[in-house]
Amino acid sequence: MCYFGVGRMAEKGGQIVPESVLKKQKRAEEWALVKKQEAAALKEKKSANRKLIYNRAKDYAKEYAAQERELIQLKREARLKGGFYVNPEAKLLFIIRIRGINAMHPTTKKILQLLRLRQIFNGVFLKVNKATVNMLHRVEPYVTFGYPNLKSVKELIYKRGFGKVNKQRIALTDNSIIEQTLGKHGIICIEDLIHEILTVGPHFKEANNFLWPFQLSAPLGGLQRKRNHYVEGGDAGNREDYINELIRRMN
Amino acid sequence: MSAAAARPLVTVQSLESDMATDGAAANSVPLPDVMRAAIRPDIVTFVHGQISKNARQPYAVSNRAGHQTSAESWGTGRAVSRIPRVAGGGTHRAGQGAFGNMCRGGRMFAPTKIWRRWHRQVNVTQKRHAVVSAIAASAVPSLVLARGHKIEEVPELPLVVSDAAEAVEKTSAALKVLKQIGAHPDAEKAKDSQAIRAGKGKARNRRYVSRKGPLVVYGNEGAKLVKAFRNIPGVEIAHVSRLNLLKLAPGGHLGRFVIWTKYAFEKLDSIYGTFDKVSEKKNGYVLPRAKMINADLARIINSDEVQSVVKPIKKEVKKAPLKKNPLKNLNVMLKLNPYAKAAKRMALLAEAQRVKAKQDKLDKKRKPITKIITYFCCLSMHLRFWVYLYFIGSLLLVSQSRASLMQPGWKLPCPVYLSHSVICLLQEEASAINSASKSWYKTMISDSDYTEFENFTKWLGASQ
Repeated sequence: MCYFGVGRMAEKGGQIVPESVLKKQKRAEEWALVKKQEAAALKEKKSANRKLIYNRAKDYAKEYAAQERELIQLKREARLKGGFYVNPEAKLLFIIRIRGINAMHPTTKKILQLLRLRQIFNGVFLKVNKATVNMLHRVEPYVTFGYPNLKSVKELIYKRGFGKVNKQRIALTDNSIIEQTLGKHGIICIEDLIHEILTVGPHFKEANNFLWPFQLSAPLGGLQRKRNHYVEGGDAGNREDYINELIRRMN
Repeated sequence: MSAAAARPLVTVQSLESDMATDGAAANSVPLPDVMRAAIRPDIVTFVHGQISKNARQPYAVSNRAGHQTSAESWGTGRAVSRIPRVAGGGTHRAGQGAFGNMCRGGRMFAPTKIWRRWHRQVNVTQKRHAVVSAIAASAVPSLVLARGHKIEEVPELPLVVSDAAEAVEKTSAALKVLKQIGAHPDAEKAKDSQAIRAGKGKARNRRYVSRKGPLVVYGNEGAKLVKAFRNIPGVEIAHVSRLNLLKLAPGGHLGRFVIWTKYAFEKLDSIYGTFDKVSEKKNGYVLPRAKMINADLARIINSDEVQSVVKPIKKEVKKAPLKKNPLKNLNVMLKLNPYAKAAKRMALLAEAQRVKAKQDKLDKKRKPITKIITYFCCLSMHLRFWVYLYFIGSLLLVSQSRASLMQPGWKLPCPVYLSHSVICLLQEEASAINSASKSWYKTMISDSDYTEFENFTKWLGASQ
């Protein structure tokens, strides 16, 4: 039997308001205040960030244009002097898996897993060094790869860019998602990310790993012949710059 | 004394008979601890179920049933099933199937036996816990009402009546007592509910059913009250030291309406003990403790101790926004890259400029020299000749110093003095034609492989 009464009441302008209600009101007010302050601080930080992002994007645009022009200029110069200008070898690769998952040798299966290509028409960026080149050599019949240009990188990341946040595949709908994970490496917006990937920067590994493997559509217009190498008229292996055309069709 | 003061008091209802004897106002008794024990419907249901099995009488079929024949199977080869058949002849029964549960007149499947386990053992503590729970439940008005008793006119629960009730001898007096204490509606309900049982039970000596009324509990042995109350339909009687769970929680449902006499009520403490004191009558028994001392969850949650460390309520759970393609949706693009607008604008302007510049260039290359010709046509034949001469002269001299031509005072060996504007026009046209021809020459050179040839010869060291 309940002989112990309800909470103590407090007189409030004639009407009795239970003390518990008053306490809750006070606490709710405190929380609301804290929330408002936090929101204001966040807003300020965001607007400051925005300016920074704008300037960075502008600088990158200039940088890319300058790079292009520089290449052309060097070529012209060389031609004028009677020599040649050889393009530097590409630093960045884009790999697309073009074969399915059945009947694979376990070692090549493992290598494709290491490259994060677990599904057909999955694509990843890759740094070029001896290790990766050798890995690619082992899985050549299953993939096609090449050197993506600025437009490819931009379009892939904008349209099909998803990030790995808390082991989940989260769409890149806001710069805050990128800042949350890659902020400590100085990458705070999508343009930063694109720049890091394109100009294989010091934090390429983290930036690339942040990007979930791209899930591309089957190419419009089809592939030529999956089972043959590109040089034989098929699709597998290194197709250097023509990967861009394929990306246009798959994105 | 202090214990009594701490416990709530229950007023004893006085009857007409004791107004004279007592003379005092309403008496009150402290609530025994039993009524504050934990109410455990799960234990009560279990114990009630087990205990109600204990009054059963065994039933079984005869152990000879179905076997009082000497039937034997005919075996195979006789175009009949192999069930044992009754031997003999001369009667319907001969050759009929026997023994099997599927046969007519055969023994049933698994004939019921009397050595079925009819009774159930229950731990003493469990039984006591159940009784204690049931007594506690009888003190909660909502539980008693929920069980279906009519206690709207009862002044207080638990209902304690003065000891004068134990002396009641006549049933008519008993009814008056019930009416005085407000228990009559419940008894009336029981009386009205008498009906013939639905089902076969009516033919098995269980013809009538009715609801349960109040349970009257008394404390003195041999009280006259037993005989007075027992014939009232619905009313049951019990001695306080022999309380029966089957009566306190009929059907396993808690909350029987109990009417206590004062004597019985006071005895409860000694029979069941208190939370700290061992019972006197039950060896070593202490009232069961509840799992939660304070079971008022709302109070606990709203207490200061809990509320002070609670985090703010998350009212709006953010749902992931639908991903829109920034390459197609400008607003989404701007959200990600604020520079995109400026970049797009610059690109558009640059494109427009480029188109315009190209068009201008083409126009310049293709445009015929129309001004002079129209003017030319207006002049007289005579003037035309001199203008033409001047024109040719200026063309020839254009490679030399251009400055000299800028002077309008270049004299013609002619009385006609060409106007300033005409001379300027002529000079403009001349320079235009010159520059056009120069650029044409240059394109001719660049379009051909002439430059390459030059370099090539340099390598070879050959000279032209």
